[in-house]
Parts: sequence; structure tokens; C-alpha cells
Amino acid sequence: MSTPGALDGLRVIDMTQVMAGPFCCMLLGDMGADVIKVEPPGGETTRQMEFELAPGVSGPFLAVNRNKRGITLDLKRPEAVAVLKRLVETADALVENYRPGVARRLGIDYDTLRSINPRLIYCSISGFGQTGPYASRGGYDLIAQGMSGIMSATGSPDGPPVKVGVPITDLGAGLFGVFGILCALRARRVTGRGQLVDASLFEAGLALSAWEATEYWYTGQIPKRLGTAHRLNAPYQALRTNDGHFTVGAANSRLWPRFCQLLGLERLTDDPRFKTVGDRVRNQRELERLIEEVTVKHPCAYWLERCLSAGIPAGPIYSISEALADPHAQARDMVQEYDYPGVGRVKALGNPVKLSRSPARLDKGAPRLGEDNETLLGELGLRAGEIDALRARGAI
Amino acid sequence: MKALEGIRIIDFTQAMAAPFGTMNLADMGADVIKIEPPRTGEPTRELSSVARNGHSATFMTMNRCKRGLTVDLKRPEGVEIVKRLAKTADAFVQNYRPGVAERLGLGYDALRTVNPRLIYCSVSGFGMTGPYAQRGGYDLIAQGMSGIISVTGEEGAPAKSGVPLSDLCAGLFAAYGILCALEYRERTGEGQLVDTSLLEAAMALTVWEATEYWVTGEAPKPLGSAHRLTAPYQALRASDGYFTVGANNDKLFEALCRAIGRPDFLEDPRFAGRGARMENRGALIEAIENTTLGETRSHWLAHLDQEGVPSGPINSYAEALADPQALARQMVVDLVHPGAGRIKALGVPVKLSGTPGAVDRPAPLLGQHTAEILTELGYTGAEQRELEEKGVV
Repeated sequence: MSTPGALDGLRVIDMTQVMAGPFCCMLLGDMGADVIKVEPPGGETTRQMEFELAPGVSGPFLAVNRNKRGITLDLKRPEAVAVLKRLVETADALVENYRPGVARRLGIDYDTLRSINPRLIYCSISGFGQTGPYASRGGYDLIAQGMSGIMSATGSPDGPPVKVGVPITDLGAGLFGVFGILCALRARRVTGRGQLVDASLFEAGLALSAWEATEYWYTGQIPKRLGTAHRLNAPYQALRTNDGHFTVGAANSRLWPRFCQLLGLERLTDDPRFKTVGDRVRNQRELERLIEEVTVKHPCAYWLERCLSAGIPAGPIYSISEALADPHAQARDMVQEYDYPGVGRVKALGNPVKLSRSPARLDKGAPRLGEDNETLLGELGLRAGEIDALRARGAI
Repeated sequence: MKALEGIRIIDFTQAMAAPFGTMNLADMGADVIKIEPPRTGEPTRELSSVARNGHSATFMTMNRCKRGLTVDLKRPEGVEIVKRLAKTADAFVQNYRPGVAERLGLGYDALRTVNPRLIYCSVSGFGMTGPYAQRGGYDLIAQGMSGIISVTGEEGAPAKSGVPLSDLCAGLFAAYGILCALEYRERTGEGQLVDTSLLEAAMALTVWEATEYWVTGEAPKPLGSAHRLTAPYQALRASDGYFTVGANNDKLFEALCRAIGRPDFLEDPRFAGRGARMENRGALIEAIENTTLGETRSHWLAHLDQEGVPSGPINSYAEALADPQALARQMVVDLVHPGAGRIKALGVPVKLSGTPGAVDRPAPLLGQHTAEILTELGYTGAEQRELEEKGVV
């Protein structure tokens, strides 16, 4: 008998592809929503994406489409659009990430669907938003990272521009999308009506730049790239050891003297170059040099043990494989496993939010193409003959 | 009407992660009441070296749209105030180290006794359970331990995300968790614990990279601005700086070649098809940059835009915050703060058509709403004066 899901009973139609939209819908599915992924009969493009777990089974597709059922609909055909509309009648939310304009051309835009179901929450995730001068542009994470300022603050000061190594604006747009949908659900309890939820990669990038925007507006100085260092805190960065780097944050007035003592650099505690946090930030390069003269003498493990014993926040710089193998990550269920037909055991990241009474669940893997066509069409009241006819016409 | 009107959230948070989460809820209309010690306030008010008229910029940024109550939690009368508030509240959010809230009598068990419908949210460095539960956490450390630093920057030069994404996303995931728990409560009448962390938020963002590792057996490496699976998709050099381009399929590659006036690339077998372009990425980028170094960024962006190739500038924050799309989408808001004067804030990034959020109130001054809130809780004028005299508020 499994635990209840927070969003049990909620139905979400997932028209999305690749990352932002599927991630948003997956977060709803993890919490128990009935997410129905709608794909063209040829399948969503991500099904072709490397890295393959088995012929025709894409790892990335499975990663962001678990906990979903699947139906195929060729939305260029009126019979398929009619099926979608019947699904919409039964749904609480629909999420799409077409380029602005495409949904209207297909006859599945918000204005059309709200007349069928005024309670529908319609979430659009796009590169730049549904309005404004760039509304018709497609959006990619790289572009949004560049335009939002995130790339200008990431990487080493002397190197070429780099992006954050995870697609943060894609995932951020998905997160703001799911946040918006859940807010709209609350509003609907009062108003009885749905609404449009409009999220974008570019705006997610800006919103995640709250700290940098603040710095710019208040100081007039443009935030620069600092490698692993911090603009306002020092020491707060990765430090070199004899076998790699570790991270440490010992910037405040309580931790700085303790860190100096741990390093055997007590003389630096009141050194005028490093006495206050402002001093330490101003002289960060010199401070780094002096500290690394000491830290390169021992391995990371040596320093981590000492920092943690002294109550100084510090940690290793893990590769992705090390991160996933860490005992704490495992204890927190951040690595889960399930069976997938044709592949066997598949690993997945756990949901990062732990609810005590209605925990997130991993109930099923991503749908195989059209896996739930019969079931869903049957639920809608179509009979076997009607389903065959749709198939014969290529509508599903 | 705002979407979360009628939802009351007690905000017992500091610094960035949890305040950012409750701030997003406040932007959407929740009544977020920030609890701070009297006289000194939340540490962020003091610690920020960026300020205006003595008011901490970080505090103002992370705490707009909230009300402020000062209460000394080391005094039993102070804890009593918070418990009375908890009776009227829908959620309580805290991001102190595990154990701190409990010692003050404001842990989950204590507060759910007062209000079984309460949603109790903890945002910590590592979570409330597990071997590292007692460690303090910073964004830098979570970025390192999630693997994000290992895939950012260039090989040999580890870099962190320039924005504190584990802090901010922990806040966003917390807001998501609270809203999910509210849905559960609608059906069952029960509150519950919502427990998330900087490390877990950061790990959740590695969904693509974790997959690559699990499928290939090799941990992904940092690639600068390039994409793991497709080329050309990265920053490219022009005569006056870099721009980004995302030509991630054959059609877009053709369009790119037209845009830069190099149709000859389409005849080059080294660049025929995605696989070939990935294999010969070095040569491909060199060949493209031989041309793009000859003109300015704006020249190329105009041509690329014309051919429909996703592309864009690499903006500084000065440029990003002045961008016409950012302004058209109301991502830059002017506020007047009673102490700091005219300040700017980022707008609400997700637009709701029927019940939009709004950034329409600055962060509270220390204790700005104490009297108002105590009155709402039923404390008489005399009782409030006594609490003040005793230094409880």
C-alpha cells in the first residue's frame, strides 16, 4: 500500500519536449499528479537523444519523463485535436513549450482551450516569454545564460566565457513554471477559474541573478567572473591541495580566526591586509596565495577533516560520479533505481524535497511511445472501433 | 487578487536560501511574517557590505513584500508570541541548523501540537537526516559536492556557477514543497514536514549530467561554453568580443553557414552531420571563428537572427538589466524603501494572467509590523507595552 501523493487527483497534460517543460511536469508527477505526455506518433525529439540505455531508449528521455503516462496524437489532424480537447475537459493543467504562435496554429492555444475548460491552468514555457520584443524567438539555455548575465559572472577571470555546466535557465524555467502552476491552483480555489502561467528561460536567468543585480544596482560596479571566489566574502573559494581542490567558507568574524589557527597562519588574523572581510575581499588573490602555500602541503582529506572538526563549512569538489556515490546523498534517497522494460535496472535522481506524510514517489519509468493510448482513449469513452479508426487515419 | 492571498507564512529564516523561497511566495500575495531578534535583527541586516543609507542591500533584496516582527526567542513570552502566530499560520519556514529551532521550542513537533494543520518547512545545508545533517552548508560547498563545479568552466580551472544556484533553487524547491503540502492539506486537513537542502537542490539540477554518467560510466567533464552532444553550440569570438550561438541540428547549421557567408562548410565532409561536427569540433570552431573574428558581434547577431539561428549577446549585468525584453517583461521594478529611499528590484519572473504577482512593497524595517501583528493576535495595548519594556519585542 503506497503512501498518498500531495497532488493525487490532479491531471496534467504535458505537451512539452526536451528539458524545461518535461522537468516541470516531472516535478508534478513525482508528487502524484497524473501527468499525460502527449507526443507526435513519431515520438518526442528527446527519444532520439544520446545517451542510449538500449536501442531506441534514450537515457535523457527517461530522466525527465518518469511518472508520466503517454499518448500519441498527430495534432495536424482534426480528429487528434478533438481527442486532445476531450482530454483537456478532464484536466487541471496543460503545459506546453512550443515557440509562441505554434499552439495557436494548431488550435490548442489558451484562448481556445479555456473556452472548453475555464478551470484549466495553461502553462507556457518559452525562451523569452509570450510578450515583449523577443517573444517570437526560440530559446536555448546557452542563449539565456548569456543574455541574462549569468555567463558574465561565471568562470575564471582570465579565461573565455563559460556557461554554468548544468542547464540552469532550462531547469529554472521549469521550476518557476511548476511554482506558477501551484500558485494558480491555489487561486482557482477562490476564483473557480484557471489562468495562463507564462514562464521563460531568460526571466528565470534574471531571477536567479538576484544577488548580482543587487550588487550592480547598489554599487554601480558590474559583477565580474571570479572562478570559485565570492565578491563579498573571503576566504570563500576552492583551495588547492596536493591532490586536488576543496571548498571552504570561513569569511565571517567567527570563522576567520579559527581557520587561520587551523592553517598555522595565526599571524594573518590581524594582518591589516586581511583583518576585516572587506579587507580580505580586496586582497583576495594575495590571501589565496598565502593560504595555498600551506594547503598544497597536504591532501584534501586532511584539510576537510580538520575544517569539519573545527566547525568550519568545507567540502570536497566531487565529480558527478563521486557526488552520486556520497553516503549522505545515498542516505537522502537522491539515487534511486527502478526496472524498465528492455533495459533492466535504471538509476534516477530522487526528488530533492522530502514531505513527511505525502512523500514524492517514483512509481513508473517514462512511458513507451503511445503506451497508454488504449487506456486513455478508453477512459475518455471511446470504443474499440473508434480507436481503430483513429489509428487507421494516423491520428494516434 | 493575488494567487496566495489568505496564506500566512512565518518566516524564521536568514541569509539567502529560505528567504528567497518565502520571498517568491510573498510576491504572489502570501502574508509572509519575518521573525527577527529585537534591536539587532536578522544577521543579514548587519553582515552585508553593500548597503544604502545603512540598510543592507541583500536584506532588502531577499525580503521584499514581507512584514516584520521582532521577538526575543530566548524569552518564554517571545516563544509564546510565535506559538500564537503559528496557530493562525499555514506554514512555518526555517533555515537554521538542525537542532536550533527545536532548542527554542519551535521545532516541528512543538508547533504541530499547537497547529496540526501547519506545514513546517526546513531548508538546511544537507537536510534534517543523514550523516551530514549537522553540518552548516554554503552554496559553494553544495555546488562542489553536487558535482556542479566539476562540470563548470574549463578543465584544470574549476569554476562555480556565478550565481548561487544551490541557495536560490533550495528556496524555490522549498516553495514548491510547501505548495504541494498545501494541496495535500486541502484533502486531508493535515500539515506535514517539508525538508529540503542546498545539496539536494543542487543535485536535482544535475539531472542531465547524472544520466550521462549512469549511461556511459564516465563522469562528465567541464566544456567551457560548449554542449555535450552537439556543435556548433557555444560562445564564438567576433572582432569585439563573444556571442552565443545554438545551431544544434543540420537545418540550423545550414542557416548558420548562410548567415556567416560560408556555404562552403556545407561541402566539407568534416562538418557533415552532427556526429562529424562533434568529432571535428575543434576544427569546426576554428573555421567558423576565422570568419566571425572579422566583424562585430552585432553584425553577426543581426545576420543570425535573420536566418533564424538561435543566438544572442553575452551581456554584463548592466546590459542584461537594461535589455528591452527584460524591461518589457517588467523584470526591473522601482520601489521606495522608507530608510534607503528609491531602490530597484527584480520583478516576478513567472506571469500569471488572472492573479498576477507583484513586487509592490519593500522589505520591512526592523520590527516595522510588530505592533500591528501583536494587535492581530489579540495582545492589548497594555500587554504590548509590557512586552516592549521587558525587551521581549
